[in-house]
Amino acid sequence: MPSDHPTREVLERFRLGRLPAAAMRSVSRHLLTGCAECRRIAKAGRQPAEPAETSYDAAIDRVFARVADRETAVARERDLARELYQELLQHPEARRRLLVSNSARFRSRMLCEVLLAESHQAGFEEPARAVELARLAVAAAGVLTEEACGGAEGQRSLAARAWAQLGNALRVTGDHPEAERAFAAVDALVAQGGLALLDTARVLDLKASLCRDQRRFAEASRLLDRVVAIYQQLGQWHLLGRALKQKSMVCGEAGDLEGEMALLRRALDLLDPDEEPRTFLAARHNLIAALNQSGRSREAFALLFHTRPLYLQQGDRMNLLRLRWLEGMVAGGLGRLEQAEIAYREVRDAFLELGLDYDAALASLDLAGVLARQGRSADVRRLAAETLAVFAVRDIHREAFAALAFFSQAAQREVAQVSLVQEVVDFLKRVRNNPDLRFRPPA
Amino acid sequence: MSALDHPQVDTSLEEFLKQVRPRLKALFARYSIPPQDTEDILQQALLALVYQRQLVRDPETWLLGTLRNKCLLYWREHRRKLYEAVDAAVLELMAEPMAPAQEASDLQRDLANALGQLPERCRSLLSLRYQGYESTEMAARLGYSQASINKVTHRCLAALTRRLLTVGPMRRKSA
Repeated sequence: MPSDHPTREVLERFRLGRLPAAAMRSVSRHLLTGCAECRRIAKAGRQPAEPAETSYDAAIDRVFARVADRETAVARERDLARELYQELLQHPEARRRLLVSNSARFRSRMLCEVLLAESHQAGFEEPARAVELARLAVAAAGVLTEEACGGAEGQRSLAARAWAQLGNALRVTGDHPEAERAFAAVDALVAQGGLALLDTARVLDLKASLCRDQRRFAEASRLLDRVVAIYQQLGQWHLLGRALKQKSMVCGEAGDLEGEMALLRRALDLLDPDEEPRTFLAARHNLIAALNQSGRSREAFALLFHTRPLYLQQGDRMNLLRLRWLEGMVAGGLGRLEQAEIAYREVRDAFLELGLDYDAALASLDLAGVLARQGRSADVRRLAAETLAVFAVRDIHREAFAALAFFSQAAQREVAQVSLVQEVVDFLKRVRNNPDLRFRPPA
Repeated sequence: MSALDHPQVDTSLEEFLKQVRPRLKALFARYSIPPQDTEDILQQALLALVYQRQLVRDPETWLLGTLRNKCLLYWREHRRKLYEAVDAAVLELMAEPMAPAQEASDLQRDLANALGQLPERCRSLLSLRYQGYESTEMAARLGYSQASINKVTHRCLAALTRRLLTVGPMRRKSA
């Protein structure tokens, strides 16, 4: 009956949604009458009293004990997962998938974590292997129970990370349609909710990279804003630094050099060069390139001077080549064309020797730009012919080759201006990340 | 070596838990989480930390940030359940075959009064809903996209529930 007042306790349980359906109906009916007394009680109970801190002790003790046990088990699982991973690698590719999907022994959260970490690592060196490992991670995550993942949130988060890693690995190989399908699975999991906050940030970060490659800059930027907000909320400043660096790349590719430089400066404030020397160096490298590109070559030169020890500290050949390339660019920006020419030639030859055709093509075009600036059209013509001949026999992306061919023809007719060289360079950089692009000769 | 081989948390878990305990209690108290519900929340967060220690640089800030978010979600989830329960209750009341005409008309009047206190768009939307319209029909009639009708409905149910619990509809005097 609408006139029957619910008790204070019933009202409180109603407020918490903890009454049986019939009682919920009955209280709702009563409240619809606008009962002033119940309204007063409900209003008073709206802000629940702050429980005494000591009332949490028992619950915290129980959780701490369980988590301490789990930590020991996780440490064991982690060691075992390394062994399982090594064992998995002994099998042919098709059998690995079967083992991960069907063998109870391979059903381990930590194995999935190892697969994700290894796939991520392989992305820098062997993209096809990164895809294969990520597919295994997806399969591994798919057969894990909630219990094995420490609850529903852990299970969903792991699955989302596995799909995101697969999407990212596919992106790196240039297979954007498949990458989009993988990220659709991520989107579905994110939309369901209940993902750990840190994992949400990680998967959105990877999705932003796909958007950036597809030149969906606004979407990439929006996603990274969410990532930034999450890392701020969690106080993970090194991850925030990485996210800001990611966002700076979006700005850079969208042509917003000022935005790119501002974000890189913020990222550099947050990144620790001792903890993350590679990421820190990459951010510095990008900042120097952006400064140079925006005409502030003197500043770029000064920063390059201070950054050189970091490249040398890394010491690997790729980093030293990147340094040399950047030195060429900054020298070009300062009008020291001879120095730039020497640097570009060294870099191009080294890339060719390493079989890094695409980078060699880009360095060749940078070299052509320097030659064109000096009015050395015969040298540009020769360089263009050499470059085209080299790439005619190599497996280079068709549209990239079309762009190089166009440049070569222009050089033969001695109409290859610096602006044309720059347009072809820009296209080659874009098409590298987005193989679906088509080369359209400039008007 | 992969990142998994480089744990970032140097202190032992036991040490860390001891250190963070007072702040955990203060946080749960501040968010008024009932003690019996803290176990799930805390366990989820701590297990995530155990699994991801290699990635987390400042575990205390991470844990407190994660728990803050979970406490907010806890109350959001409670509110969602309450709105759904109120909605289900009203839908059932409206669907009940009520023999005495007086009861039916009282319910109609009370509901109309309650809805009358809501903003116009909620009034229109919930009136249609409690007349038995499906969300696709409501979207078409009120000019919302299919994607947004559920969100708007949720907001309107929240407004109705708040109104019932805290402000309450004004009862009109019988003529």
